Amino acid sequence: MGFGDYPKEYNPSVHGPYDPARYYGPQDTKFFDLKLGEVGAWFGRRQKTPQALAGAISRCWWRWQHNYVHPKRTGIAPFFQLAVGGMVFFYVLNYNRLKHHKNYKYH
Amino acid sequence: MLYLMYGIFAPNLRFLGTTNVTSNNSNRRPRPEHPSPVRHGFIPEEWFTFFYPKTGVTGPYVFGGALSTYLISKEIYVLEHEFYSGLSLAAVLIVLVKKLGPSVAAYLDKGIDEYEKGWESSRTEQIKDLETAVEHEKKEQWRTDGQKMIMEIKKENIHMQLEAAYRERLSHVYQEVKKRLDYQVHLQDIERKLAQKHMATWIVDNVKKSFTPEQEQIVLNRCISDLQSLVQKA
Repeated sequence: MGFGDYPKEYNPSVHGPYDPARYYGPQDTKFFDLKLGEVGAWFGRRQKTPQALAGAISRCWWRWQHNYVHPKRTGIAPFFQLAVGGMVFFYVLNYNRLKHHKNYKYH
Repeated sequence: MLYLMYGIFAPNLRFLGTTNVTSNNSNRRPRPEHPSPVRHGFIPEEWFTFFYPKTGVTGPYVFGGALSTYLISKEIYVLEHEFYSGLSLAAVLIVLVKKLGPSVAAYLDKGIDEYEKGWESSRTEQIKDLETAVEHEKKEQWRTDGQKMIMEIKKENIHMQLEAAYRERLSHVYQEVKKRLDYQVHLQDIERKLAQKHMATWIVDNVKKSFTPEQEQIVLNRCISDLQSLVQKA
C-alpha cells in the first residue's frame, strides 16, 4: 500500500463508492462501548504501523468533515472546534516555555 | 478556507476514471442536511451522552469540572496572560455569535438554497433537453422506418415491371408463333388452291381435247334446238 492507494480491504464492487471516513477492515467493538478491563486487549488488537496511524487520523478527519463541515446547514461549530483543537495543540507544543509562567511554587 | 482544505484532502480521483463507477448509490454516504448536534457551541453531543448510562446527565459536567480543576490546581494548565486574553476574546465571540448568528445563518441558508436550486434547475433542464433529444431521435427513427415502406413499394414496383416485361415477351412469343403458324396455313391454302386450279384446268383441257368436231356439231345443234323450243314456250 503506497501513497494514494486505497486500503487493501476496500473492494469497489462490494463497498460501492469509496468513503474516506469508513474503516473497511473487520469491525471490532467501538472504543466507547468497551469496558475498562477490555481496553488493553483492544489496543493489543490494533495495528500499530505508521500507515495504520495515518489511516486512522485520515478517517477521523473525514468523519469530522462529514459530521460538522459538509452538512448543508452547518453552523459555526467546526470553526470553534478547530480553534479549540489548535489551542490545545499549541499549548502542548509550547508547554516547555509556558510552564515557566507558573504562579505557585508548591502544589 | 474550507474549500482550500478540501483541495488538500480531496478524495483520490483515480477512482472516477475507472469503469467501476456505476450508479450504485446504495452504499454512498448521504450528505446530511444538518450537522451533528453540539452543546455550548462546539462540544459534540456524543461526549455528553457517553456519560449518561453510568453517571446521569450531570456526569459530563462533573467530569469536565473535575478535570479542569485538576489541571488548573496542579498548574498543568497555567493561567498566564494568554488565558485572560482568551477569556475576553471568548466573551466577545459569544456575544457576536449570539447577536449576529441567526441573521448570518439565515443569509447563508438562503444563499445555499439558491445555489442548490441553481444546480438542480440546470440538472433538470439538462434532463429535459436530453429527453426531448431522445424523443426527437425516436421520431427520426420512426420516420426512417417509412423508408422501409418506400423501399418495399419500390421493390414491388420493380416486380411489377418485371412481370409486365415477362408478359409482354410471352405475348410476343405467342404472336410470333401464331404468325408462323398462320403463314403455314396460308401457304397450304395457296398450295391447295393452286393444285385445285391446276387440276381443274387440266381436266377441262383434257375434256376439251377429247371432243371431236362431230360431237361438237351434235352439241351445237342440240343447243340451237333447245333454244328454239325455249323461244316457242315463251
